Amino acid sequence: MDRQQEFVLRTIEERDIRFVRLWFTDVLGALKSVAVAPAELEGAFAEGIGFDGSAIEGLTRVFEADMLVKPDPSTFSVLPWRGEHMGTARMFCDILTPHGEPSMSDPRHVLRRALAKAADHGLTFYTHPEIEFYTLRDEHRSGHAPEPVDQAGYFDHVPRGTTHDFRRAAIGILEAMGISVEFSHHEAGPGQNEIDLRYADALSTADNIMTFRSVIKEVGLEQGVYATFMPKPFSEHPGSGMHTHLSLFEGDHNAFYEAGAEFQLSAVARSFIAGLLRHSGEITAITNQWVNSYRRLWGGGEAPSYICWGHNNRSALIRVPMYKPSKGNSTRIEYRAIDSACNPYLAFAILLAAGLKGVDDGLDLPPGAEDDVWSLTDSERRALGIKPLPADLAEALAIMEESELVAETLGEGVFDYFLRNKRKEWADYRSQVSQYELDRYLPML
Amino acid sequence: MTTGARRTSRDAALARLGFVDVPRACRLLDEHCLAGLVDPFEDVFEDGVLWALGQTADPDLALLGLSRMMESLGPIPLAAPRPSPGLAPAPLEGGSLNRLARPAAHPARLRAVLRTGGPARDRLLAVLGASAALGDHLARHPEHWTVLIDDVDPRDAAALRAELLTAVGADPAGAEPTAGRPVNVALDSLRIAYRRRLLAIAARDLTSEDPLVEVPAVARELSDLAAAALETGLAIARSELPEEAAPCRIAVIGMGKCGGQELNYVSDVDVVYVVEPPNGCADEEHADEEHSALEHSALETGARLAAGMARACSATTVEGTLWPVDAALRPEGKQGPLVRTLDSHVTYYRRWAATWEFQALLKARPVAGDLELGRTYVQAIRPMVWRAAEREHFVQDVQAMRRRVEQTLPARDADREIKLGAGGLRDVEFSVQLLQLVHGRAEEALRTGNTLEALDALRTGGYVGREDAAGLDRAYRMLRVLEHRIQLHRLRRTHVVPDRAEDLRRLGRSLGLLRDPATELGVVWRRHSQEVRRLHEKLFYRPLLAAAARLTTDEVRLTPQAAHARLLALGYRDPEGAMRHLAALTSGVSRRAAIQRQLLAVMLGWFADGADPDAGLLAFRRVSDALGTTHWYLKMLRDSGAAAERMARVLSASRLVGQMLERSPEAVAMLGSDEQLRRRPTQQLFAATRRATDRRIAGPGSTDTIAIAVRGIRSREITRTAIADVAGLVDLVEVGHALSDAAVAALDGGLRAATALVADEYGGQLPTRLLIVAMGRLGGSELGYGSDADVMFVHEPLPGADEGRAQEAATAVVGELTRLLSHPGTEPALEIDTALRPEGRNGPVVRSLDSYAHYYERWSDIWEAQALLRAVPLGEDTDLSERFLALIDPLRFPENGLNGSAIREIRRIKARMESERLPRGADPNRHLKLGRGGLSDVEWTVQLLQMRHGFETPGLRTPSTLSAIRAAAETGLLAPADAAVLAEAWTLASRVRNAAVLWRGRPAEALPTRLQDLDGVARIVGYPPGAAAVLEEDHQRITRRARGIVQRVFYE
Repeated sequence: MDRQQEFVLRTIEERDIRFVRLWFTDVLGALKSVAVAPAELEGAFAEGIGFDGSAIEGLTRVFEADMLVKPDPSTFSVLPWRGEHMGTARMFCDILTPHGEPSMSDPRHVLRRALAKAADHGLTFYTHPEIEFYTLRDEHRSGHAPEPVDQAGYFDHVPRGTTHDFRRAAIGILEAMGISVEFSHHEAGPGQNEIDLRYADALSTADNIMTFRSVIKEVGLEQGVYATFMPKPFSEHPGSGMHTHLSLFEGDHNAFYEAGAEFQLSAVARSFIAGLLRHSGEITAITNQWVNSYRRLWGGGEAPSYICWGHNNRSALIRVPMYKPSKGNSTRIEYRAIDSACNPYLAFAILLAAGLKGVDDGLDLPPGAEDDVWSLTDSERRALGIKPLPADLAEALAIMEESELVAETLGEGVFDYFLRNKRKEWADYRSQVSQYELDRYLPML
Repeated sequence: MTTGARRTSRDAALARLGFVDVPRACRLLDEHCLAGLVDPFEDVFEDGVLWALGQTADPDLALLGLSRMMESLGPIPLAAPRPSPGLAPAPLEGGSLNRLARPAAHPARLRAVLRTGGPARDRLLAVLGASAALGDHLARHPEHWTVLIDDVDPRDAAALRAELLTAVGADPAGAEPTAGRPVNVALDSLRIAYRRRLLAIAARDLTSEDPLVEVPAVARELSDLAAAALETGLAIARSELPEEAAPCRIAVIGMGKCGGQELNYVSDVDVVYVVEPPNGCADEEHADEEHSALEHSALETGARLAAGMARACSATTVEGTLWPVDAALRPEGKQGPLVRTLDSHVTYYRRWAATWEFQALLKARPVAGDLELGRTYVQAIRPMVWRAAEREHFVQDVQAMRRRVEQTLPARDADREIKLGAGGLRDVEFSVQLLQLVHGRAEEALRTGNTLEALDALRTGGYVGREDAAGLDRAYRMLRVLEHRIQLHRLRRTHVVPDRAEDLRRLGRSLGLLRDPATELGVVWRRHSQEVRRLHEKLFYRPLLAAAARLTTDEVRLTPQAAHARLLALGYRDPEGAMRHLAALTSGVSRRAAIQRQLLAVMLGWFADGADPDAGLLAFRRVSDALGTTHWYLKMLRDSGAAAERMARVLSASRLVGQMLERSPEAVAMLGSDEQLRRRPTQQLFAATRRATDRRIAGPGSTDTIAIAVRGIRSREITRTAIADVAGLVDLVEVGHALSDAAVAALDGGLRAATALVADEYGGQLPTRLLIVAMGRLGGSELGYGSDADVMFVHEPLPGADEGRAQEAATAVVGELTRLLSHPGTEPALEIDTALRPEGRNGPVVRSLDSYAHYYERWSDIWEAQALLRAVPLGEDTDLSERFLALIDPLRFPENGLNGSAIREIRRIKARMESERLPRGADPNRHLKLGRGGLSDVEWTVQLLQMRHGFETPGLRTPSTLSAIRAAAETGLLAPADAAVLAEAWTLASRVRNAAVLWRGRPAEALPTRLQDLDGVARIVGYPPGAAAVLEEDHQRITRRARGIVQRVFYE
């Protein structure tokens, strides 16, 4: 560690960094930031920097009002958009109690704990997210319909297109920050984009997603457009998901891969998928945490509404991508429910825990779905044993509340806070009279 | 015949001499290679080779070794030069061929030595008898025996270095010696030369008159030899470097025992590496980049050298291996880079090192490579070591380290382990180092890496008593000798005393215990480990006490600052206060002060292990002030180590116990035995209470003396229970019974006295009979430390008595009873709560049975019926009890269960209670009674089941919550898993509530929020130290699950 810390201190000096932002994430996935002068950094590495945790959503237990943030030097990166000279850098932080123990309510720690559990099995967890988002002409003003920046569609090339420039700028910055981009293109919705990050260990990926979101917002500001990760801003267009490819490695060996097996899926992979399927209802409140998330899940497009898996079946909750011969290490599965507005730390932790539970319990993988599950009738789906995901946040919360798996993975504190917070969100939402109701009912009733 | 007879007598002689496998011995002696060695008059002269073999640790082994060696040395050639024992030392050569070319090793010379005897023979045979591994070496390299005669004297570090370097063809005088021989040859040569020197060291060690005296010298030479081997390993690594390797300076820093110059025969050798670019390029400010490039390539070379050196020492060749080189003590441990620059080391320790790393650095010493660089390193690092005790978490770190030392003990060999565990070698070293860190700041003389030297310095400086230091020194040396002898046998890294008889025999004999080696060895070992077991007392606490007592007789001279620093390091939060208490307890020349000094020397350690050492010491002082002159008190503590330990542990764990013992110090007598801490049988308790009251009623005593007597008995039972509880002797159910019994006995005695006192006013006879009905937790016999006694009073006018007068008399009795038990007084009060009576606080405190019947018939609310579930009439008036039960049974267990509206009403009341009764600002997840999944949740759920199904399920008709849960599970009203969770939640909440009272000495309603409180409570509940967060997480989880069941079972 200390080499990294030294490296950070040296870089700060060399590149004339004037401010260092210490980033951490609250339970709901909002990025928080404390800026410190470089001179304070040494102390921050050694002992952390104190702040009043009670001011931050879900972060404290009673005796933990005074919390410490301790920067993780391996996440150091200069923020390119703050200019080359007298620049600003950022590091992600772990949150500690005043006694120097990791805080149980730090989402990063939740993920670290889940990863440590996998490490006990000798496994490391890799993720590769495909992040979708919309670019709008303007910031949201209440009462005005959002207006996308273009009217193009899936993979469209838009001449002199705003989104093209936008993606180019964003990718440039991400690459400058050491976040590799695999792939980017225009998505199906107007003004909708997808950028895929290269696969990395889950903690780095989660950090990268947090960075990604703020980079996208920053680039938007620079280019005069408004970028949003809202899961479903338009009723008539597809929502913004974050299909995530998951794989487990045992050392250098992909634990999902077994040559010659069906779809080259190892027993571990099959049980892992089975675990995800069995627990997908319980974890949906985490992977899809907003009222609006369920508009996407149940709004058609490519969103998966039903709990099933399939080989290259784009209607399934879990897709096993086409296997590329000679690429054993690329064997992976794609979880398609998760959306771009989740807390990536919690979401990855819970996906990993659910899958590992399947491995631990030695679950058998049910048969895969070959049909387009949307086109089946309810009775057909029932006959095939295909159940739906929760229909709304309230149902997701009710299912999650009963889940020992989620409680154990999040820790009792985060679990309790999350439920309370989200129930309140649901209650607030339910008390609103929507535009839809006015338009529909006022004329007729 | 004669041959046979002689053989028989030789057999007997061999057995007498200590041979075990006599036939084999005979066979070996008859073999050609040994022929002629044994003097035919062996049985006559007691100085022949057989006799000498008999003096060794293992004569059979020695003889076997000798025969192998002689065989390997070959026959005496015909044209042998005359052996001359007095010749000048033969020049040393590597390789083992052409033995006969070297006259000094000539077999004839060996035969002569063996026949004539003397120190050389003793040395050879001692080695052969103690070490199978060195015997093997001599069989391979028989010519090495000459080292025992020509070259046995101790050598200094430089000579050893030169010896090993020369063996691999490196120039000891060179700045960077490089092996001249091919690598594989060099590796063998290093091993051969190393073992040759080991032979000399072992020989001197084994034949020394007093091995204890030799320990430091042996350990020092072993360390120097290891250093020489490291240097030679480096020379071999250099010879492997490619041409283009960048130049570098590399220093090998010895850590651990090697650094402290106290190595044993076989051990991992701990090292750290420092690497710099060659001199001259180091300080060129203007060429920063060039410098960093140089540094980079130097580090690259350094890493190769370090890895090569470790390999050279640890690789296994035909000549075996030396020992593993362990670089895990380097910054960042195994994750960190193998080699670092000086700056990088300094930066690391300045910023990020943990306390244990500084402790490790105490022993850092340059041992090989660039010694100048090594010295610069040590000079740069050392000052930081002496500031380690100022670090923020020093105390916690040290305690955690201590726990780790004690926990690493492998359970299997625990009782035969001489290194790990309490009182083992590592404990001695650790404890000495801790004192060095604490006091070394102020006292430069303590700054040494060597344990025995440090101990001596502590003694000289007055930080440890002279006698204690001497005893420890002796014991430490003894354990080291034992360790050495065990390791010598096979040159294996082991710290376990063997358990096979022949091994014990050899071990004992190697220590000169010839008569009954195994048994005598056991005695010696036990004596010394006992000495070490009281190590902490001697090292840490006795000096503090001497300082506190300002004794002039003892040579300990701790300054107030030193005492302060030491107490802080040991875990006391208020050293000034602690010193005051110690001074008060131990000053003076009274017998009492002397005994307390002795006691506190051990008790201070036990206090320090507790959650609140300061409170423990303070309570001890108060109790001792009250009892000091009582004859049995100090005698009990002095004679029963268990009592003193229990007292210290209980007082530092529980303020409640401290308060109780301060109030009635004579209760300390209970600590004397587990027997005393057992719950008194209920009948005995009642009888004692009655005797106490009756005596005083009859006598001229006032109500006050009765109150004191009755409350005193109860208080004693609470104390007994609290101590047993903190000591982990009783579980929650037993605690509940004990506390409930104590309360019931007090109520019984109180009622008796109150009746008698009031009866006087009524002409000696009350016009009514009185019954106390226990309610709530008292009814369930589940009382906690902070609980009130929930009761109702029932009376029944005597036939013909005026009802008004009877009511008046009953009210007077209840008033008197309340005054006796509840009003403030010298002994703790029993709060009597009658809020569950009809009409609650607005109703009369006592009613006649008829009035109850009347009331329940007309007015009763459902919650009153619910409260009656735990009603249990007390006392011996069975007639009245039965009639009362007959009255309430239909209420609490209604025929056919509850109707819908009653069920709804109970649910509604509960729901309202949840929102209203919780104190403002209280966290519902932490409140033990009214919180989520708390006591009230569980109790109401169970009680609803009892009311609905009690009429048909006899098992449910119980006042005890846990019994009711069990009954509900048995009859299928609760799923077994649900029942288990509810019982667990109820038990945990009750235990935490009890523990909170024990910890703070006053009632608590919620899981504590202060970390220190939570830790104290967690320990009483049974968690290990520092597990506060675990208790919290467990509590949240269990209550969450319980709440889920309550939602399902109670509300649906």
